[in-house]
Amino acid sequence: MTIIIAILQAILLVVVAPLISGIARKIRAKMHSRKGTSILQDYYDLAKLMKRSEVREGGSGIISRLMPPIFLGCFVLIAAGLPLVMQACPIPMLGDMITILYLMALPRFMFALASIDSAGSYTAIGGIRELLVGVLVEPSLILVLFVMASAVGSTNVGLMSTAVANLQATPLVAVVVAGVACAMACYIEMGKLPFDMAEAEQEIQEGPLAAYSGPSLAMLKLGVSLKQVVVASLLVCIFLPFGSAPTLAPLDILIGFLVFVAKVLVVFLIASVIENSAMRARYKILGRYTWFVVGIASLSLVFLIIGI
Amino acid sequence: MTAKKPVALRIGETHVQAVRDTFPGSVLDATWQAADQVTITVPTDMLPDVVEFLYYGRGGWLPNMVANDERPLHGCFALYYLLSMEESDKGFVVVRTEVDPATMEYPSVTPRVPACVWSEREAFDMFGLRAIGLPDERRLVLPDDWPDDLYPLRKDSMDYRHRPTPTTDVENYQFLYEGHAEETTQVPMGPLHITSDEPGHFRLFVDGEDIIDADYRLFYVHRGMEKVAEDRLSYDAVTFLADRICGICGNAHSVAYAESVEHAQGIEVPLRAQYIRSILLEVERLHSHLMNLGLVCHYCGFDTGFQHFFRVREKAMDLAVLLTGARKTYGLNLIGGVRRDILDDQKLATIKYVSELRNEVEALVDMLVSTANFESRTGGIGRLDPVIARDYSPVGPCVRGSGIGRDVRFDHPFDGYKFLVGMSARTHDGCDVQSRTLVRVEEFMDSLAMIEQWLDGAPQGPIQAEGWQYTPNKFALGYTEAPRGEDMHWAQVGDNQKCYRWRCKAATYSNWPVLRYMFRGNTIADAAIIVGSMDPCYSCTDRVTVVDVNKSTSTVLTKSQLESYCRRRTHSPLAGKGW
Repeated sequence: MTIIIAILQAILLVVVAPLISGIARKIRAKMHSRKGTSILQDYYDLAKLMKRSEVREGGSGIISRLMPPIFLGCFVLIAAGLPLVMQACPIPMLGDMITILYLMALPRFMFALASIDSAGSYTAIGGIRELLVGVLVEPSLILVLFVMASAVGSTNVGLMSTAVANLQATPLVAVVVAGVACAMACYIEMGKLPFDMAEAEQEIQEGPLAAYSGPSLAMLKLGVSLKQVVVASLLVCIFLPFGSAPTLAPLDILIGFLVFVAKVLVVFLIASVIENSAMRARYKILGRYTWFVVGIASLSLVFLIIGI
Repeated sequence: MTAKKPVALRIGETHVQAVRDTFPGSVLDATWQAADQVTITVPTDMLPDVVEFLYYGRGGWLPNMVANDERPLHGCFALYYLLSMEESDKGFVVVRTEVDPATMEYPSVTPRVPACVWSEREAFDMFGLRAIGLPDERRLVLPDDWPDDLYPLRKDSMDYRHRPTPTTDVENYQFLYEGHAEETTQVPMGPLHITSDEPGHFRLFVDGEDIIDADYRLFYVHRGMEKVAEDRLSYDAVTFLADRICGICGNAHSVAYAESVEHAQGIEVPLRAQYIRSILLEVERLHSHLMNLGLVCHYCGFDTGFQHFFRVREKAMDLAVLLTGARKTYGLNLIGGVRRDILDDQKLATIKYVSELRNEVEALVDMLVSTANFESRTGGIGRLDPVIARDYSPVGPCVRGSGIGRDVRFDHPFDGYKFLVGMSARTHDGCDVQSRTLVRVEEFMDSLAMIEQWLDGAPQGPIQAEGWQYTPNKFALGYTEAPRGEDMHWAQVGDNQKCYRWRCKAATYSNWPVLRYMFRGNTIADAAIIVGSMDPCYSCTDRVTVVDVNKSTSTVLTKSQLESYCRRRTHSPLAGKGW
């Protein structure tokens, strides 16, 4: 039964990801005082790209070709494992925080590798920036998850979710502070402005994305949208699991589903507003922002140790 | 011609006297073309000394140098180094020298005054005049595949319709690296770059993300306007061609050209026409500065600001429609005046637009300045050192952001600017992108105030001068302060109702050479915004157009003609096509 839910929720996220990025685009247009495109625009884009033939850079190897499916696949796997509509993980093996962290690191590694594989200089710069974002953000995320693991006594995200939903995660202050740090880290991880450095259009012409076309670009674009939804879901399922289904009863599942959608939409709404009211951070001072996040994450660790 | 011996002390007299005193026997001739313009002729070997003395010794700045093929007139080529004297006795001193057509050589001034570098490179491209000692002898204007021995602007070289066969299929421009770091990566930016929208090839020499040095190749779309003007158009039609130099500040070029001819011919433009010209120049500044403010946002990835500035900019465009009948302030100038008056109801509507613009832009600028990261994205970025600025004579907000108050409107007041009350050039001392942006903000507000002053103060009267005499072979300077800086036109009419030589210097032409220094020490992330803060105008610099002269003068364009013309403009690979 749970495996069906896992598959369904993975499919759901993949299907919904372009819609959510379409809504984000609509909000963006409204803030620009533009009419904007339809919220379905991302589907049209993907459909068109799928029909296009693929052009590869001369001299690029198998890594470049493998990257889009691996990128997309990793996030589909994470999507299947997260406790989205129910409090427990549908597939416990995939719900382990170590697995999740590595599944998030793999696409980043492939992304950077593919960018070096390409001949373009902007592509390589984008890859290096992506690695830098990873190096700076991942420690805070790991720290936060470690705090949560210690608080609930398990590395399984489903158990963390259940504990928080039932308000059994203690010490409370440590958990709340960890939640704040996690929200910030997730925002940076989503790669939205002001932190969209790897793809910065005006600076490095969309970086590694520039090397792709046709179906692989579609896959990559879908992967990027899915990544944003997955990262937002990660935050929601660990720290805001309220309303998720405690049992497998159909009514619970339905409520859990609706609540989940509402929560993700709210997260994206907030993210869109932030995204559209800031300038892109300079690549060189990204460290300052991430130190701040690391600081908050460490604070939660301190609270955990002293037990408040 | 004016008398050689002036009766009273004229503008520029002190400078001429100083040159005479410092270099006895150097001034072969001194003539005044207009009240504030004097041309002195010096021997070729004295040229670098005299220009250097006037530039550094007398507070001169160098807009550009004009080469001219005067063999049909007196057997020699001539060079005119235009100097804008801005410290004392403000005016223009033009240093003229003749170059022997047998040797085609003259001593380069660039080692003494770096500001000459582009002009001297161009003189070689166009006339084959070699500057001895010029440190950078690469081609500037002509494309890589242009034949080596064809110098387009020589009177006996080619018809303006001639398209020489390309001599090479590959780009062979050498990018020069002047940094010290041993190992750098070259990052090409352009010729087509997402954020520049116009062709220019920047070669960034980087170490990681740090720019060590940069070099660039422009003029991908040289249109050969000067050649067309000399061969194809009569001198009074060139005002309309000058409009097309730029898609933004065409009117500034048109006014500058018209005034160069008016100065040369001694035409007195009616006062009301002078006011109208100034008003239109400032309307142009309104929409140009709003565009740049929007683009600063865009380059920083802050598209919300970009979109809002462009929304408000529409109001400035509406104002242009109201006053000129078109979104661009085109086609308004004639030699001797303007074609269209500002009526009373237009005046009232303009005042309303101005106050609306003031309110909306004030609110937007507040938003921009308080936006997260604005300070860190623009402060200290793209530093233009005042010392470098002094050497290269950059213009406009670019130099005013480095604390140097160069502004033609106030240094050499012309037209309505003579009657302004309580205005002066705006400067900021930060030398960075932020200062240049803030200069633009303040200038925008000033423009609004200027328009109000002129609308109130404009006297009634005719808008065109009539009954003047055309005298062949006279030349003079015309100048305006375009949104991006000073436009300087030098025009000489011939004995056939055409321009004998027309040299238009767009603002950005003076700014490109300093860009290399602004790049250094910044990161790739800042490259686009540094170029943007100069508010560059590629096509102005290139003086390029694919204007089809036959169509624009004789026939009415049908919709399909216009469409195919648009298509041709967008899709034709102009680079490498030469003229």
